Amino acid sequence: MIRAANFLGASVVRMTRFRAGVDIGGTFTDVVFLGDDGSVLVRKVASTPDDYAEAVLNGISLGIEELGLSPGDIGEVSHGYTVATNAILEGKGERTALITTEGFRDVLELARIRTPRLYDLYYQKPVPLVERRLRFEVPERMTFQGEVLKPLSEASLSEVLDRIEASGVRSVAVSLLHSYANPSHEERITEAVRERLPGVTLSVSSELLPEMREYERTSTTVINAYVRPVVAEYLSQLSGELRKTGIGVPLTVMQSNGGLAPVESAIEKPIYCIESGPAAGVVGAYHLGKRLGIDNILTFDMGGTTAKASMIEDGEMLLAPEYEVGGGMSVGHRLLKGGGYILRVPSIDLAEVSAGGGSIVWVDRGGSLQSGPQSAGAVPGPVCYGRGGQEPTVTDANVSLGYLNPDHLLGGEFPLDADAAARALRDRVGGPLGMSDTEAANGVHLLVNSNMARALRAVSTERGRDPRRFTLVAFGGGGPIHAAGLADSLGISRIVVPPSPGVFSAFGLLFADLEHHFVQTHFKAFADLDFREANEILDRLRGEGRELLRAEGFDDSRHQVVTQLDMKYVGQTSELTVSMPQSRFGPEALEEIGAGYGVEHEKTYGYQSDEPFQLVNIRVVARGLSDESRVPERIVSVSGAAEPASTDRDIYFGRAGGWLRTPVVGRSSLAVRSEGPLVVEEYDSTTVVPPGWTASLDDLGNIALERME
Amino acid sequence: MTERQGLDPVTRNIIKNYLESAADTMAVTVVRTARSLVVRDNMDFSTAIFNADGDQVAQGLTLPFHMGAMQPALDAVRKHFGDDVRPGDIFANNDPYEGASHLPDIFLFKPIFVNELLMGWTCVIAHHTDIGGRVAGGNACDNTEIYQEGLRLPPIKLYEEGRLNAAVWRIIEKNVRVPDKVLGDIRAQLSAIRQGEREVLRLVSDHGLENLKNYMTDIIDYTERLTRAEIEGLPDGSWSFTDYVDDDGFSDDPIAIKLRVTIEGDEILLDFTGTSPQAKGSINPNFAFTKSAAYAALKGLTNPGITANAGFFRPIKVIATPGSYVNPQHPAPVAARGLGGFRVAHTVFGAMAKALPDRVPAAWGGGEIGASFGGYYPDGKAFVFLEFNNDGPRGGGPYADGADGATAPVTNQSNTPIESIEADQPLRITRYSYVPDSGGAGVFRGGLGVIREYELTAAEASVQIRSDRNKFLPWGAQGGSPGSQTHSILNPDGENRELPSKFLMDVKRGDVYRSVQAGGGGYGDPLERDPEAVLYDVLQEKVTVGGALEYGVVVSGEPPEVDVESTGKLRDRMRRERGPLTLEPRVEAASEARHPGVVL
Repeated sequence: MIRAANFLGASVVRMTRFRAGVDIGGTFTDVVFLGDDGSVLVRKVASTPDDYAEAVLNGISLGIEELGLSPGDIGEVSHGYTVATNAILEGKGERTALITTEGFRDVLELARIRTPRLYDLYYQKPVPLVERRLRFEVPERMTFQGEVLKPLSEASLSEVLDRIEASGVRSVAVSLLHSYANPSHEERITEAVRERLPGVTLSVSSELLPEMREYERTSTTVINAYVRPVVAEYLSQLSGELRKTGIGVPLTVMQSNGGLAPVESAIEKPIYCIESGPAAGVVGAYHLGKRLGIDNILTFDMGGTTAKASMIEDGEMLLAPEYEVGGGMSVGHRLLKGGGYILRVPSIDLAEVSAGGGSIVWVDRGGSLQSGPQSAGAVPGPVCYGRGGQEPTVTDANVSLGYLNPDHLLGGEFPLDADAAARALRDRVGGPLGMSDTEAANGVHLLVNSNMARALRAVSTERGRDPRRFTLVAFGGGGPIHAAGLADSLGISRIVVPPSPGVFSAFGLLFADLEHHFVQTHFKAFADLDFREANEILDRLRGEGRELLRAEGFDDSRHQVVTQLDMKYVGQTSELTVSMPQSRFGPEALEEIGAGYGVEHEKTYGYQSDEPFQLVNIRVVARGLSDESRVPERIVSVSGAAEPASTDRDIYFGRAGGWLRTPVVGRSSLAVRSEGPLVVEEYDSTTVVPPGWTASLDDLGNIALERME
Repeated sequence: MTERQGLDPVTRNIIKNYLESAADTMAVTVVRTARSLVVRDNMDFSTAIFNADGDQVAQGLTLPFHMGAMQPALDAVRKHFGDDVRPGDIFANNDPYEGASHLPDIFLFKPIFVNELLMGWTCVIAHHTDIGGRVAGGNACDNTEIYQEGLRLPPIKLYEEGRLNAAVWRIIEKNVRVPDKVLGDIRAQLSAIRQGEREVLRLVSDHGLENLKNYMTDIIDYTERLTRAEIEGLPDGSWSFTDYVDDDGFSDDPIAIKLRVTIEGDEILLDFTGTSPQAKGSINPNFAFTKSAAYAALKGLTNPGITANAGFFRPIKVIATPGSYVNPQHPAPVAARGLGGFRVAHTVFGAMAKALPDRVPAAWGGGEIGASFGGYYPDGKAFVFLEFNNDGPRGGGPYADGADGATAPVTNQSNTPIESIEADQPLRITRYSYVPDSGGAGVFRGGLGVIREYELTAAEASVQIRSDRNKFLPWGAQGGSPGSQTHSILNPDGENRELPSKFLMDVKRGDVYRSVQAGGGGYGDPLERDPEAVLYDVLQEKVTVGGALEYGVVVSGEPPEVDVESTGKLRDRMRRERGPLTLEPRVEAASEARHPGVVL
């Protein structure tokens, strides 16, 4: 237990100067050190998939050394990881058994029976995380109102426990029909398992997700059971190793909902921390927005193989109620489910498209240019890397157009072959389509922009939001190259490129607050709502939240407890989430809630209705606030590398702009507002400022791009 | 390859991407705002965008079966109204004899105007929970004329220049049993077609009207070129196949769907001449739907990634004799036409399995179970529950076993959450699980069918079942065995009465209807299946020890293991006794002995 009193700066005294954010990715592990004074050091080390902790510790030690610190100067380590995701995708989680209601053991594997790819003759289902022979049924039954229809058969339960014991399984999931309405049978099973099979890890649906819909609840419970031992081992080991090196501070983990969790709850409920990496970038943008006073943000994160978009509206991150782990995320994932494992926990709503720097471009049989979904990845990589890649990629087009330095990347560490890129584009794109080299490269650039715009549209227009009201926050290796073009196509007139955009996700880890989420289904039409009953649920959920925060060292003045309701018109499909305007349920509160729902419905679907309302879920978010801002006044890189000298080169700005001799500068030279065309080159990224845009540096060190009227 | 003057392939693809995502946006709106289980959870609806000439440009990621169904319904609207199409109009059509599908499928179309000039259309089709008529749910198999099937809306204006035609609204309200659900779903459709219009108008401002109109047509030509290139890659020749529908619910006579597929160069001809006459009951697929089902099947067989638009239809010609089962004539009933459409798709797959034996999987289950429960609560309010425990598991394929309990490649409906059903309807689901041994044996076995049981908790209700494959089994391919048949059973723990595949009956509180889906056909010689794969299925309780014998695999002991010696002997004997293996798919009749419908 490392439940220290100074959790996340909750205490009055701050002993230390630096915090470390560590984000594990497929290829690299990024470590960012952030000092109280805003000084920043970034370390990128190769990930170590056989033992992820190795790279983490390695990166931290390197940074400590470079900054001339002692381990005791590190005040906090925040972590985003893919250990759980990988365990699921690679089938390397814990062998798990499931106990469920008689007649329903295949609910988990049947899933929603939809396929993620239309017309596909060879579709295969994802392998269920609990094999059929380990899915056990017990006679029992609840109604949706929580009445016991059939009592739990103790004799059968006992038999099932015998079989589980014989199977040697160490992790057990329990998910019974309608357990959200009455958990007593699941509680009895819990008791029996604890008694009969001590040492077995238990995941119980009514504790984890007391929410209606059997498949989603079962799948979520099973994922928890499946990854818990793996996550527990990893996090315990990492905490232990950190302590050994003298870093005796709290380890926090990024949750997919954008809040941090203390390591203990990340171990207890690993489902909240499954997709923690992509969430962190959005969290970074969210906190940046708070500091800059920007309430409406579209985030745009472009990497090597995919681009991701998310929305922050009225200062709130947008959460999706569920997502599919390994679902091959795409903008179509809202319609085509079944490719992965459904996880019903609130998570930052991301839309993802297969469009990144490494996306391969090709001409199809109908004579149309296509990009992706195949990616050249890091190896062999784009043709210009000169590592054997033969197929042209988006990066090759960006080099040909002059957006990327045609000679090298990473401040000269990485030479490029621009001629090879141009040849490949000519052979595979320009030639077949009868286009000039420039037209072909520009075509690739425009096409990939349109694919990425799809992700941005999925999070905005698909919800009835007009992207023109938003500021684009662009990061990831390729984000700042494409941001202005995308903004033009969506009518966005303001862009922010944060410092170190290539490792911005790791910043998000450092900006986030500690957060706990709670939910309870309370399926009642407003007319049938018993206020006393509903308020009891409120009290219980809020009480659980406050209790946890207190245990983590946050006194009551630093609790932020938010209540939200999932609701709909009676008989309507999926719910919308609205905030609860008053602290208690009562006749007046219902009026206000209903009015709020109407506004939200109108915003999303274009109309309100005078129909009666249905309450579905009560949600409580409990945040622990630090006494000081987690975002410093100004971010200054302390990395040794000097900014490259200003120069210029020819860059193509579409048919309208043509080829222009364009100044190439470092970030700091934007202290004076400059007009495009302009390119800002940095160690880990390139920002393109086309004609018609201006660029300047704000107080925090961000590049602010604005479109001129 | 010909390209239109002045258009470039990059802009074309950018516009195509945008239109596809606009159609997806429309679909998301439908899902979120719909009121009925069949639309919101079963997801039986589709969205599309058309050019000014009424040619489909893009479809949302919705039902493959609807791909070709929307254009004929729009054709009928355009034909009827001619020039009388104005800004603010919204058209409805559900008339199977004017281009629509069956009455529960209401198509809504909104013309898109720019400066008084028509430049395109948006469409949402949704399957409604009820459409009036003699049986709740709108899918009764035992109608004998269209007039029994419910409210018929030929091409009409639901909105005239922005004003709701309140008379039509009232007529719908008074003719359906659950107006809150039906009108709620229509509102969802309206939201979506309006949203689609807004999206298209944004494209107009980005690309200019004339330019965009040209590209919308060019996208269709491009799809046609892509489709022709795919067909060019298929072998030339002619292949025949016949599949069957058990019966029409009135007589015992099987209905034969005869098909000859001819591939010549870059075109495909589907000739259904010789198919049985139209049925007395309502399982007839009207010709528009027959074509739509055939297109969906061929898309899976060529390139699933091709844009679902009018360009795909052009190289495909479909011939069917008027008055035959696949081209019924007015006033033939068509309410349960979905069943016929699935079998049309099966027939296309069967013929193509002869053309492309290495590519085409065995038949998917094809039970096509549609279940409706209708009745009244004590307060006089009606309830109607409709769901499709549909076409069932995949057949075994050339690379792998058929997926257990998945949907067919020509559709993509979801199941309905059990807990939602119970909270919403006077029903209790008492079982939902796989049926062991239901997949046809093969090197790659067919997927397992699914059993689903419904218990009525209201005092009484009518239950109406549309299903098939009780008599004719889902065929195997390349020597694989057929999948098991469909069963409908009343009160399995009591009288245990086997019911026909198509029926309407009254049930009372506590009655249980058990529906057992057909399994998928197997692919390849069952005696060549890896014995370890058979053992794995036995361990997973997907195949029984008895079922393993169909593969000539003897499993015994505890823990169970393959008895290698006995397996060798058994396989030798089975090979000798069965004679040469038939590789081509053919339809077999079910024998009660083989799959007695006992569920473990």
